[in-house]
Amino acid sequence: MPHLTNRLTRGSPLITLYVGISDERRIAFTKAGRTPPEMRECLALIDTGASDTCIDPAILKPLELTPTGHALIHTPSTAGQPHSCDFYDVSLGIYHPKDSMILLTVPVIAVDLGSQGITALIGRNVLASCLFIFDGASDSFTLAF
Amino acid sequence: MSLENEIAVYARELPKLIPQSGRFVLIHGDEVVDTFPDYKAALRAGYEKFGLEPFLVKMIQAVEQVHCFTRDLSPCRI
Repeated sequence: MPHLTNRLTRGSPLITLYVGISDERRIAFTKAGRTPPEMRECLALIDTGASDTCIDPAILKPLELTPTGHALIHTPSTAGQPHSCDFYDVSLGIYHPKDSMILLTVPVIAVDLGSQGITALIGRNVLASCLFIFDGASDSFTLAF
Repeated sequence: MSLENEIAVYARELPKLIPQSGRFVLIHGDEVVDTFPDYKAALRAGYEKFGLEPFLVKMIQAVEQVHCFTRDLSPCRI
């Protein structure tokens, strides 16, 4: 199982994540005679408290996405009243020198993360196919996929 | 760009769709196009049929699952 072990950044497990349009949308772009947008690089926090992966609109906007999903979400401030939220289908990649992880179709939410110094949260919908070890004692984390 | 119309159609048609709970429904405009066994199959059908036009893919659930986040987030549209 390929894995990456990195140092924590101020106590946080941060990793470079590549975001592009989904495989299905790429085919639609090509059929429409349009050039599919290129993948974008973002700084992602691995967040086991997030049920889904979230991406900043600054990353998503150049991908020319339209929403293809919808769900209700709870956060600490929704106070028991779930909020309505759009989902977008994207592809995600994490670089590994021998065997990079590429997920061709993943639903994500657009969330303004700029003020938090990151541009993505990797949630449990992606972690479901990974092994994640947070080793605070050695100031490191490991992500295997 | 939003899916308000498709979301309303889903809510309206849900009683008829409930026997297919767990499958994914594809909705375009006012039309329930079909249901599919998984998310990718529904998405593929949506892009094949409607190209880059808006459409909705949604898991059929009698009681909608709420997605939870321990971090305070403000979802937005792009």
